[in-house]
Amino acid sequence: MATLELDSITKTFQDGDEEIVAVDDVSMSIDDGEFLVVVGPSGCGKSTTLRMIAGLETITAGTLSIDDRVVNDVKSQNRNIAMVFQSYALYPHMSVRQNMSFGLEESTDLPDDEINQMVSETGEMLGISELLDRKPTDLSGGQQQRVALGRAIVRDPEVFLMDEPLSNLDAKLRAEMRTELQRLQNNLGVTTVYVTHDQTEAMTMGDRIAILDAGELQQVATPLECYHEPANQFVASFLGEPSMNFFDVTLEGDRLVADVFEYPIDEDVRSDLGDVTDLVLGIRPEAVELVDEAGDHEFETTVDVVEPMGDENTVYLHFDPDADPEHAEALVATIDGFNRVSEGNTVTARIPEDAVHLFDRATGEALHNRSMEDAAEQIDL
Amino acid sequence: MSDGELRTDGGATTDVRWNLEGVTIEDAALYIVLLLAAAFYLVPIESGLVTSFKTGTAIVETAPFAPPGASGLTFEKWGSAIDALLRGMGNSLLYAVPATVISAFVGSITAYGLTIPTWKKSYKAVVLMLIIAGIFIPYQAVLVPLTQFWSQWVQLGEALSFVWALGIPNDYAGIIELVITHVAYGIPICTLLFRTYYKTMSEEMIESARLDGATLRRVYRRIVLPLSGPMFAVVLIYQFTQIWNDLLFTLVIVSTESSPAAPVVLILAGLGTSLEGQDFALRMAGAFFAALPTLAVYILFGEEFAEGVAA
Repeated sequence: MATLELDSITKTFQDGDEEIVAVDDVSMSIDDGEFLVVVGPSGCGKSTTLRMIAGLETITAGTLSIDDRVVNDVKSQNRNIAMVFQSYALYPHMSVRQNMSFGLEESTDLPDDEINQMVSETGEMLGISELLDRKPTDLSGGQQQRVALGRAIVRDPEVFLMDEPLSNLDAKLRAEMRTELQRLQNNLGVTTVYVTHDQTEAMTMGDRIAILDAGELQQVATPLECYHEPANQFVASFLGEPSMNFFDVTLEGDRLVADVFEYPIDEDVRSDLGDVTDLVLGIRPEAVELVDEAGDHEFETTVDVVEPMGDENTVYLHFDPDADPEHAEALVATIDGFNRVSEGNTVTARIPEDAVHLFDRATGEALHNRSMEDAAEQIDL
Repeated sequence: MSDGELRTDGGATTDVRWNLEGVTIEDAALYIVLLLAAAFYLVPIESGLVTSFKTGTAIVETAPFAPPGASGLTFEKWGSAIDALLRGMGNSLLYAVPATVISAFVGSITAYGLTIPTWKKSYKAVVLMLIIAGIFIPYQAVLVPLTQFWSQWVQLGEALSFVWALGIPNDYAGIIELVITHVAYGIPICTLLFRTYYKTMSEEMIESARLDGATLRRVYRRIVLPLSGPMFAVVLIYQFTQIWNDLLFTLVIVSTESSPAAPVVLILAGLGTSLEGQDFALRMAGAFFAALPTLAVYILFGEEFAEGVAA
């Protein structure tokens, strides 16, 4: 168990004469026993960051420390780190038991019977006792995944690194393993860095999530903070499914003027904006309500498409009924599954002022986020 | 692919076929061609084999590929061939086996060093290029330097005088020279073959072993080497056949068939030839006998060989 500290970590690759920055000045500290999820689109540098922590890539600049010990030049095998790979990376010529003992045999001087016992105990914990004598090729994907996990757990490392460990599983198994991994990590209390591109995994699993884009760290915060108080437009758009609605707006007095609507804002919101006038208005689909009364924040819209999901419907709304639906800006709303609207209907959509986000259009930085009062209680839990 | 397979894509083959209980003309033509090809390749072997059992008169009176018949059948030639070649067989094994095994191992380790560990790519490329260049040096081009090397620069015969004092004929220095020469010439191709194989190994698996605390040496010993089986089969078969059949180096290094250290190829070259003419039956029997070890190696590693070639 250990703390992990990344201080201005940078990684550049040389491609001919060109220098490619894969990870740009990333700093974060991970507490002892914390589960940190690093998330971002492919190519954002999240795997490279993980590989630098593992010692599989050299660090171009910055310092990496485990428990206040700088490990930049410490070899992988001496960092006391265990990693679970996306491909599981099991040794195909060894039985499950041998796969799990390998790390202990190579990194410790423990006697064979002790190693055997530890492997058996870990096998029991993961429910793979009966698989110990089989070869990896005889196992299903889910079983192989457990073995890869067991191989990491049995070594009792200071830090767990996981590189998209669930992405090769089918949806149902993935959901199960998500819960199980969280429970395991909680019980073991080992500091964990978990890399994924899946925002559901990020939201549900991590104590905190770190969002990377183009090698730069966008935000490190609890999942709910990232969701409700995104640091910038990228974070806001990356988290949430369907993703947040964005409209380019211009501040004129106390009104936000978009191509198709005008949105009045009150003094509190106005004061957050300073003298920035080119803005992006963001609203989460679930914050949009379909109402009967009219008002300043209510807009008449036409239903373009309804996607029933069972418990809820995703509806695509257009402000201008005559607009070409292919190109017109759509307002996406998720509404109750029993709320029957159908294509072509005219409905009134409310964009509640306490739920809007406003971003600086030039920098993407968040200037105003939704009120956290309602969400605050959940975070404190 | 074949017509026996069910088509599930809904498409229909449009060409008209002459169906005869599932066998089409195309199938029949295919099998006829295959049979002819098989016969074409097998006839020389079959001719050689039947010839080796024929008496002198039978060779003159029957066609080369025809069986000898009861009166023309003899096992005498096989007997003489085995008598003549047995000691050469032992000598050949004495250098072919160590040279094969050593070149395979050295090739495997070299390839490992050139693929898995991280060191500067530009250095790797240069080392690899030098090794690969070794494959393209023709044997004939090195015959003179090779002779000079073993006769003037490295005189094993003298260096190992304590061995000959034990009663072993000092001609056996030639066997050691053959081992070293064949290892040196085998390393490039072995390295190339193993390198291709190691390139396909899962990088994550190796990284995982490194993170598990294994050193580079241990990764080779416990992960890479045990997984190299199929490629070892390919390399062992290839190298053994090459070394066993090579006449050029044995001619240069051992040179005389009367030497106690004469390899089988050297004796075979002169077997059954005399002033009176060629004893075809003896030559054939000798050739088949001398080829037995290479055949045995194929059979021994056949399954792994197929796997290795597929990889």
